[in-house]
Amino acid sequence: MNTTRGIMSNIEARSPKGRLILGLFLVILILTSIIVIFPFFFSFTAGLKNSVDISKPGLNLWPAKPIWQNYIDAWNRFKMVTMFGNTFIVAGGGVIAQLIVSTLAAYFLSRLKPIGVKLMMALVLVAMTVPRIAYLIPLYINLASLPIFHISLINTFWGLWLPYAVNPFMILVLKSAFDNIPRELYDAAQVDGASTFRLFFQFTIPLSTSIMLVLGLLSFISLWGDFLLPLLVLRDPTMQTISVRLYNLTRNYPINLHMAGSFIAMLPPLIAAIFLQRYMKGGLTF
Amino acid sequence: MMNQAEIALNPTPQVKRSISFFLKQVSSYLYFLPVLVIFGFMTFGPLITTVIYSFQQVNLGKPSVWVGIHNYVRMFGNPVFYTAWENILEFMLLSLVMGFMVPVVLALMVNEMRALGKFFQTIVYLPSLIPIAVALLVWRQIYSPDAGVLNSLLKAVGLHGQLWLQNAALVKPSLVVVMTWLGAGGSVLIYLSALQEIPTEIYEAAELDGFSPWQRIWYITLPLLSPRMQIMLILQIVTVGQVFTEPYILTSGGPGNASITPVLALYNTAFQNSDFGLASAWSVSLLVALSLFSVVYLWLSFRREKYV
Repeated sequence: MNTTRGIMSNIEARSPKGRLILGLFLVILILTSIIVIFPFFFSFTAGLKNSVDISKPGLNLWPAKPIWQNYIDAWNRFKMVTMFGNTFIVAGGGVIAQLIVSTLAAYFLSRLKPIGVKLMMALVLVAMTVPRIAYLIPLYINLASLPIFHISLINTFWGLWLPYAVNPFMILVLKSAFDNIPRELYDAAQVDGASTFRLFFQFTIPLSTSIMLVLGLLSFISLWGDFLLPLLVLRDPTMQTISVRLYNLTRNYPINLHMAGSFIAMLPPLIAAIFLQRYMKGGLTF
Repeated sequence: MMNQAEIALNPTPQVKRSISFFLKQVSSYLYFLPVLVIFGFMTFGPLITTVIYSFQQVNLGKPSVWVGIHNYVRMFGNPVFYTAWENILEFMLLSLVMGFMVPVVLALMVNEMRALGKFFQTIVYLPSLIPIAVALLVWRQIYSPDAGVLNSLLKAVGLHGQLWLQNAALVKPSLVVVMTWLGAGGSVLIYLSALQEIPTEIYEAAELDGFSPWQRIWYITLPLLSPRMQIMLILQIVTVGQVFTEPYILTSGGPGNASITPVLALYNTAFQNSDFGLASAWSVSLLVALSLFSVVYLWLSFRREKYV
């Protein structure tokens, strides 16, 4: 955050006119924050109501008798431990797959640059522009029966990890990060006799851990909430992720339990984001 | 036999150098192999297959039958096709009117708040972090006609409750509100970083010359933000064009196809009607439409930064 000055200088900000404008901004921002936070708050309080109060019309912001037991019920009956575990495995495995594939590819594009590198780069860009939905059906068919190998990846975590491994954005960002490593460092290491792979594994990767961490966290948060692909791939309820499971359970359980479950489901990405805050300095460039 | 001079000029025999060069090329491609294999199975293969399937009647288990343009004829003859694309254009328009300037305005305000800005920035970003499906379940409750909080709030101040998701005229704006809530945070982050790239000397000079803050925003900030805004605009159009989860969970395309989108129609055709050939035709139409926008997006972003 630019603390020296924004559009108004610090002196102007202290002037009556400046205070008025800043006050206006503050009011609008606070109102916006209330609106933004509201669904979180709503699901939290709705989770505390009993099943009758939930359908009662009227503005009940806080129930008369908060039923904290609902949260424990939701945790147990929805088997949220399993769901959290599944989602963590899916998202975590996906991030690891992305990092492995992307770092190798970025090293190829950044350092190795053999013949045909421009064509490979173009392939990555094409993969980035095409939305996954456009080829969803053959992707699903491929997952149901992998060509050449003829194995089904439905109801397996690999059926999610492999599609998730495709992250052209990560490849491009890593490539530009690798580009920024000074050539002299590479030359020095090479003079000392490092092989290409050692240069990659013991040199480039350790130098890039911060960008890999940021990308990994961002990816984790995004994969945690993914809905369509897990909906299609994970048919077995014991393997399903939170989004899919909670959605499938809408019909069978009362709404207050649902809201409690939803609130719990919202917590882990928020915690991950707190970690992310320490690494992001108030903005994203692309 | 080479003399001393020739040996000095050609230190490496030609034959050995080309073999090691060749080996280096091949071993380099080993690094790109995971990308080629996985992308091939998961992205490029399916992409090509989609186009092929769109010309076939695809039967799982039995061989597919070539039907030429029959799928496309059916698709263009289906009134839902036109409804879906009309809807998506309306979504794009609504999201531009309701959702495009919101992150810009928020970013301007957040940037002005000095240290407090970080707090507001975090809050605005929160919705994009949670699983979309979970958030949508909560929003479905909020929009609920009888038990919903939104209607309760309106009634408490004397206004009438509305059928947010059941009224064909209201359903699209209601969905766009949710989409804005979900997406504004990320855009605010991007605009914030753009705002911080603007050199503060320009503002100082303008302030000394007597420009009011609003004039500074209008003549300095917005023009400098404009390239970033162009890119975000295209990105927003492409993202809204693919919207699926919101209509799927909140309205299932209803009421009566008022909120059906091309991707939702594609999903229904493929996974409810099991008509993969027709669904592939839908995919190709989606691909063509979105590619046009994506190409513009890439062209605009390459004008700003060179990647290769």
